[in-house]
Amino acid sequence: MTAKGKDKTAEGEAKVAVYICHCGGNISDQVDVEKLEAMAKEFPGVTVARRDMFMCSDPGQNKIIEDLKSGAADRVVIASCSPSLHETTFRNAVMRAGVNPYMYEHANIREQCSWVHHGEAATRKAAGLVAAAVGKARHLKPLESIRMDAVDHVTVVGGGISGLKSARDLAMRGLKVTLIEKTPFLGGNVAQLDRLFPTNEPAAELLQEVVDEVRARPEIEVLTCAELTESEGYVGNFTLKVTRTPPTGEEECERLRTVEAAGAGEGRFVPFVGILPEAVPATEETREISTGAVVLATGFRHYSPPKGLYGYGEHPEVITLPDLIRLMAEKEDTGGMLEVNGRPIKSMAMIRCVGSRQIPGIHEPDENGNLNEHCSRACCTATLQADREIKEKYPETVIYDFYRDIRAYGRGHEEFYVGASQDGVLFLRFEPDGPPVVGPASDPDYALSVMAKDTLLSGQELDVPVDLVVLSVGMVPSDVSGLIDKMKLPVGADRFLLEVHPKLRPVELANTGVLLAGTCQAPMDSTEASEGATAAAVKAAALLAKGHVELDPYVATVNTELCEGTGACVAECPHPGCVTLVDAPEGKGKKAEINPALCTGCGMCVAVCPNVAIEVNGWTLRQYEAMVDAIVALPATKELVEA
Amino acid sequence: MTTQEYPQFDTLVLGAGIAGLQTALDLAEQGFQVAIVERDPSIGGKMIRLSKVFPTLDCASCITTPKMAAAAHHPNITLFTYCELNGVERTGSGLKASVTQKPRYVDPDKCTGCRSCEYACPTFVPDHEQGGFTSRKAIYVPFSNAVPQKAVMDPENCWICGKDGGQCVQVCATDAINYFDKPEDFTLEARSMVLATGYELIPDYSEKAFGPASQHPNLITSLQMERLLAPHGPYMRALRPSDGKEPDSIAFIQCAGSRDLNLGVSYCSRVCCMYSIKQAMLLSGALPLADITIYYMDIRAFGKNYEQFFQNAKAMGVEFVKAKPMVIGGTEDGAVRLRYEDQEGGGGGMTREHDLVVQALAMVPAWNPEGVVDVSTATDGFIKSVKPKIAPTLTDMDGVFTAGVAAGPKDIVDTIVEAGAAAMEVSNYLNQEALVAAE
Repeated sequence: MTAKGKDKTAEGEAKVAVYICHCGGNISDQVDVEKLEAMAKEFPGVTVARRDMFMCSDPGQNKIIEDLKSGAADRVVIASCSPSLHETTFRNAVMRAGVNPYMYEHANIREQCSWVHHGEAATRKAAGLVAAAVGKARHLKPLESIRMDAVDHVTVVGGGISGLKSARDLAMRGLKVTLIEKTPFLGGNVAQLDRLFPTNEPAAELLQEVVDEVRARPEIEVLTCAELTESEGYVGNFTLKVTRTPPTGEEECERLRTVEAAGAGEGRFVPFVGILPEAVPATEETREISTGAVVLATGFRHYSPPKGLYGYGEHPEVITLPDLIRLMAEKEDTGGMLEVNGRPIKSMAMIRCVGSRQIPGIHEPDENGNLNEHCSRACCTATLQADREIKEKYPETVIYDFYRDIRAYGRGHEEFYVGASQDGVLFLRFEPDGPPVVGPASDPDYALSVMAKDTLLSGQELDVPVDLVVLSVGMVPSDVSGLIDKMKLPVGADRFLLEVHPKLRPVELANTGVLLAGTCQAPMDSTEASEGATAAAVKAAALLAKGHVELDPYVATVNTELCEGTGACVAECPHPGCVTLVDAPEGKGKKAEINPALCTGCGMCVAVCPNVAIEVNGWTLRQYEAMVDAIVALPATKELVEA
Repeated sequence: MTTQEYPQFDTLVLGAGIAGLQTALDLAEQGFQVAIVERDPSIGGKMIRLSKVFPTLDCASCITTPKMAAAAHHPNITLFTYCELNGVERTGSGLKASVTQKPRYVDPDKCTGCRSCEYACPTFVPDHEQGGFTSRKAIYVPFSNAVPQKAVMDPENCWICGKDGGQCVQVCATDAINYFDKPEDFTLEARSMVLATGYELIPDYSEKAFGPASQHPNLITSLQMERLLAPHGPYMRALRPSDGKEPDSIAFIQCAGSRDLNLGVSYCSRVCCMYSIKQAMLLSGALPLADITIYYMDIRAFGKNYEQFFQNAKAMGVEFVKAKPMVIGGTEDGAVRLRYEDQEGGGGGMTREHDLVVQALAMVPAWNPEGVVDVSTATDGFIKSVKPKIAPTLTDMDGVFTAGVAAGPKDIVDTIVEAGAAAMEVSNYLNQEALVAAE
């Protein structure tokens, strides 16, 4: 394809500065950066080429600013890491030099080069990437970002502790919030707990406090029994459809009856249910919400062990830690022995890392082929907390705690480990390839036997008689596949939602304006989930505080002189309403028109236009041609390396 | 600079490490005016001194330097480096902080960061920024990524080498050097404050635990190992300090001072497992033939993708030994001798020698608020949170918040999230305060 009507940028006038980053060795260990600098100096249009250990550092950025200010260059190419990391950093530097921020082209010579190629091949590829970027840079034109008004409203998806905390924080910040929750209840997984480590404060009090605040805030609208069914738009201006459905699920109805039986009414906490904030809807209804940002707080569910794993589902005496927590909380404290199903628990086993820290080749994937390689983070201290509670209430119960590593990492957590050890809990370490085996009791006084090898000191084979086995089940993400499809959300190998970068943008998704709060991102305890939620709120607040958002100008534009109104673009565009045919002035037929707010710059219209009348700003056909020409003009690998 | 009067800031952030910078940026982005007070001559904190960071193995500089630059250039952020906070008192409209600008002996308005003074200075001083492994000059720019890029003079070591003042004075093109610079006191007023004062490694554990053997030159700290692995490191390679030899065998001692009621601190320092695994991985890249052993109590790889990182290290051949070794001395060829109980092999004492041994020392608070800011610390010495479950960044002083390791050990990922959370809590405090004032 040839671009008609070549742009007027005179290649000869463009002055390109090239900056090559060593990235502290990340790049320079593989790419011969000195040679690359020497080569770049010879590329057509290049007036300056420099290197720096860290281009993103202040001294590195100052080089760019000095060259632009002195007039040595009028546009820049930066060869460094992925633009997803520091494109904004460099754009800001170019702006500080008084130059249009889009007079900057990026070459990724780290992720796409030095991290995947070695030695000569890396240098060769880096040269190609830089040459192409220089070729394109010579045809860059100043662009203006698209400024759109932003709605001062945030939608929070999920009514667990993270969603509640985010909603409260955003409302205090003065933003309007709609909190949507799938079930009739607020409180999520925290409502399924009794006391929270490390403070041992009741989950009920914590939830009641936050829910009271949320319900008291006029800025917050709570919609229960609600699911997000459609999502359109972009940061600052999303349009969501939310459908509320009367509850029909057996578990939900059971819980609703529990609330009724408890006589707790609306707004009061009911243990192991949560808080019913309002009556459930009687009929199905769908409403549309205009919102500026979306906070996802869709949480986790407990790993559900397959039948037979450690005897689960085969022996009634094998239960999970959440089962134990509930059982203990609901049992009236009458002294004496802990009893489960009428059986006094003389001794019991805790088995950790059930459905967590699975290792390929050792553990079996589930029916969907998934393996949970992650650590579930909160179960270690939760198990220690249970150990201690049992020892406190029923000191005669012998506890064998089978573990791989005790991960009591948090503030105040180690005290639980020390305390449990002092209480006489017996900790027995196992290796992932030699887990304990739960089977019928060898001692008739007990329900079960746990066979294990003591991997420390003795190496002895143990046969531990127990009346109860408790599995510390891990966390897996809630099933949000519908949401993932609708909003095109990135998901990690662990199936949790994937942040842009764990340190640069830890609570943001690649979908601008969509934020992550709590355990939909990774396992966390309730403290960490609350903090994640608050951090997500601050990002939403910063996005919407200005009242407008700025979008990248990489959108399609129509050259009305070339457009013949064929409508091919309208048929091809995947975004409804983005391209339309409008009457041209003076009765010159129809012309295509683009709504830049809806255009994602995908370029499908460009490909189908028979007249080459549509271009994507910042990615014009002329620029592509220049990139290809520059690559083709490079000498062959051998000459290049020997040069 | 210090004689200037400043209007009231919305927030004063104490500490310009990653926690303080992120809090400041998240506030400034919302339009709040932020002052950052930093004790060091450069912002960046501990993170800018690290090599690469887990679990992504990004270079620490790649994450920190852009945030440093963003803070330095943000129209809503004012930096006060090389300043000491003396006290904070509550006034009617907020907080009044008394601050001392320590003398740089270099006028920051004139200094261009050209380093001519540094090159001319004849005095070599052990460089703390490089783990003490190399030297710096008596007048110097703290490190290559420092912000601001301004020289600072160390009067303890400057002996005014020339007849007409030092050689630095003679080469300085902008007359920036001032031998007569003095500390200057000034006040900053702010409506709120965030304590992001970070950590130090436990200072006296090694001596207490290992006695004279702790003086072995090839027994180093984890932060020294960070310097050995860093791109601007002292040797630009991972060499052992005593003789510059490439170590064939490297060991890590975990929980050196952590989880140790007798000689150290009772708590887990939370990051050492992961950074030791990371250092082991980087070393096995730099020295593919070296044997690497990590002596541990429990491997606490709890964060997102951390367990996978740990399993990768095992697959790469890093040896994990469950033991808490003692350092019992050295060998003639410079190795460090360890003794430990062989728990996995049926007990009994084992002795092993390693060319280089790294102690994963416990984190302790870098700053004690006592007598300066009226906030409480918990029994662990870190700043006490009054709402540890739902809002861990709240302290027991109204309008004063905390973030990062100042509020207990945590890794960079958790610190950055907490910094964001602190910024939100501060914003809401400021807004509520404004609403109350309006009524």
